[in-house]
Amino acid sequence: MDHAVLSHETVTVEPLLELDAHPECGGLALFVGTVRDHHEGQSVRHLKYTAHEPLAAKIIREVEATTREKYGVPYVRIVHRLGDLSIGDIAIVCVVRAPHRAEAFDACRYAVDAVKHGAPIWKEEFYTDGSSAFVEGCCIRDDMDDATARPHRHHSHTSHG
Amino acid sequence: MKQIVFELFANLERLAGSGTCSVQAHDEVSTVADALALLARERPELASSLDRCACVAGDTIVRRVDPVPADGRIALLPPVAGG
Repeated sequence: MDHAVLSHETVTVEPLLELDAHPECGGLALFVGTVRDHHEGQSVRHLKYTAHEPLAAKIIREVEATTREKYGVPYVRIVHRLGDLSIGDIAIVCVVRAPHRAEAFDACRYAVDAVKHGAPIWKEEFYTDGSSAFVEGCCIRDDMDDATARPHRHHSHTSHG
Repeated sequence: MKQIVFELFANLERLAGSGTCSVQAHDEVSTVADALALLARERPELASSLDRCACVAGDTIVRRVDPVPADGRIALLPPVAGG
């Protein structure tokens, strides 16, 4: 399990599908998140993903393992892009191979949501007016003892989704 | 006195103007919470952002009640927005 889950280079989908393996699987669910040209009314020119790479890689691998176990699927593969991305570039790929379509779809959605909510990756958007901002995200503290992080703020999680 | 180095990410790095910042801590600074309180006093521009940060040593999230990591390095991870 030492495949790359973070990539500083363009992500290619095809090799992640493993179509020549998993003969027991009749379903393949694929989610590809791409860079959109707008966010909350602002026109986006490009964006930059940064990460705490050791923890992000660890968490994405944990999501892969948890998803396999939770949905009983043999293959879950996630790659998240880092660095400077242009409109239309691939930001995240999630592939699930499963015996049947239902668990493939469910597992794929679960895995993508888990990465978005848990992996320490940040999106800085650069707008056509020359300004830039970090997209508001999810607090990943697990020892929050006051109301600061509750309710869990999901309003910005519609990106790519 | 010991040095505690904070690694800063995303908007926290932008607020501080650098990827790391250091504080000199007396012996009574023993927990992650103590270290954060000291950082908030010395770098008030970061203070309001610290509560929503996860603290990480190496590749492991540490809690406020945990001792300051032996190597004196704490990564501060603000709310995440991948995908």
